[in-house]
Amino acid sequence: MHTFLTRGNALLTFTLSVLAGLTFFCFLSTGLNAYSATATIDTVKVLVKNVPDYSAQKEKQDLGYLMFDLQANLNPLFNWNAKQLFVFLTAEYESPDNKLNQVVLWDKIIQRGENANLDMKNMNTNYYFWDDGNGLRGNPNVTLTLSWNVIPNAGMLSIVRGSGSHTFSFPNEYTNVRAQ
Amino acid sequence: MAGQSEQKEPAKVLKVNKWDGAAVKNALDDAVKEVLVDKFNYTENFALVDGRLAICTLAVSIAGFALLWDYLHPFPQSKIVLLVCVLGYFLLMGVLTLYTTHKEKGIFVSAYQKDSAGEVVSSWEASSSLNKYDDLYELVLSYKDGKTKKVREAKSKRSVAQYFDDNGVLLMELVEPEVTKLHNSLLSGRKSK
Amino acid sequence: MLGSMLEEFQRMNKRQFFYQVLSFGMIVSSALMIWKGLMVVTGSESPIVVVLSGSMEPAFHRGDLLFLTNPADEPIRVGEIVVFKIEGRDIPIVHRVLKVHERENGTSKFLTKGDNNRVDDRGLYAPGQLWLTPRDVVGRAKGFLPYVGMVTIMMNEYPKLKYAVLACLGLYVLIHRE
Repeated sequence: MHTFLTRGNALLTFTLSVLAGLTFFCFLSTGLNAYSATATIDTVKVLVKNVPDYSAQKEKQDLGYLMFDLQANLNPLFNWNAKQLFVFLTAEYESPDNKLNQVVLWDKIIQRGENANLDMKNMNTNYYFWDDGNGLRGNPNVTLTLSWNVIPNAGMLSIVRGSGSHTFSFPNEYTNVRAQ
Repeated sequence: MAGQSEQKEPAKVLKVNKWDGAAVKNALDDAVKEVLVDKFNYTENFALVDGRLAICTLAVSIAGFALLWDYLHPFPQSKIVLLVCVLGYFLLMGVLTLYTTHKEKGIFVSAYQKDSAGEVVSSWEASSSLNKYDDLYELVLSYKDGKTKKVREAKSKRSVAQYFDDNGVLLMELVEPEVTKLHNSLLSGRKSK
Repeated sequence: MLGSMLEEFQRMNKRQFFYQVLSFGMIVSSALMIWKGLMVVTGSESPIVVVLSGSMEPAFHRGDLLFLTNPADEPIRVGEIVVFKIEGRDIPIVHRVLKVHERENGTSKFLTKGDNNRVDDRGLYAPGQLWLTPRDVVGRAKGFLPYVGMVTIMMNEYPKLKYAVLACLGLYVLIHRE
């Protein structure tokens, strides 16, 4: 270690190696976690309307409206390497135009330390339930599932779908726009 | 305390940072090579070094080709070509590692002794090792008789302090006798047998 | 110290000099081959990206590193974090998929939104573009490393720093023997 430069170089290399090793260990420690949990979902009020979507094609599209109940305890999913859970409620269905449709209706960010025991009743959706076309009216099979994206301190980003879903159908008649 | 020899003023004064192990080893290797080539008039054989250079050149060419191909046919069309090039490159890296560890093995000079007709009488190889943060320089001189094809080795393990002065100047007059000693011991061994 | 390195450099013969140049070439080639290898393995044209904006906070902050994959046989689903490029603009955007509509023949279109944004990304897309298609997607985020990308951001914001670092490294490799 004959010069300042060589000492600095050796110190820097060592520090970087240790940091890399720790990060890798961090990733390994939770890399195989399943992050599974169950969710109980229920719909309270289900309507469908047919109105022009001004943010998109300006033709009339089906607009679903619903309120939902949700219970899920996600507290056990947090560990020292899980810094955030991005929880979202998905409606999945088939329509005459599209074989598969997935629409996120509601999402929530839960950080480590916050209460992750969800128990909500009569919730409104965050986002409009627009269909790409007119495939919601009378649709017999719309499935609501809860999923979460685990954001680690360092490592794999995983998306897990909770077990427990709720299937419902839309009414056969459009609701007048003014009626709520 | 710079060495002043009576024979000749050194054409270039070789001074290295005495704490830098790599520089010290390189300086010593160069000096040994100089003794073999200049003093004993052997011709240097570049086959080993050329082999390593050829492998490296091929590897760099493959990488360059991959870069060019990917530029002309953007990914993902270039996927197959890229895969072949990447595999080929790392295969060559493996070959290079094997080559340097097994074939070159620390040999830094290989020379032929030719007689007046230009025929090869014998071949010499010098290899050395100097551990990190250590001061023991091990020099191995190996001699292969052109006729009997037998190989003999002579080793010398001394501290680098015995070749350099306090300021890091390499003293040729200390290197030369050591090399000559090894050289003659190999030659005399042949004569006595 | 630089002086002693330069002296050693001047003492090199042709072959040694050629080997120094090759060493430099091999370091560059190794980095290049690792990058291309990652491209082939992940199927994404940019397997590692740096997060440039705060639109995905608090999950990702500026300077975080993302590892992407883009397998052709796995269709894009809601909730996935995709990195996409808008036609005409070079900067990749990292947002989350909000809606997916997929047809029988496999073609699909989807809508994205940043976690930290109030509205979805329709305002970001090219004029007249309402949806994203798989062609626009560079990859999906599968791995995450915090802070490491700050180096890249700093080098891009201060190009002089980038050239200075590269020049020093290049010079060091060329001159330093073994």
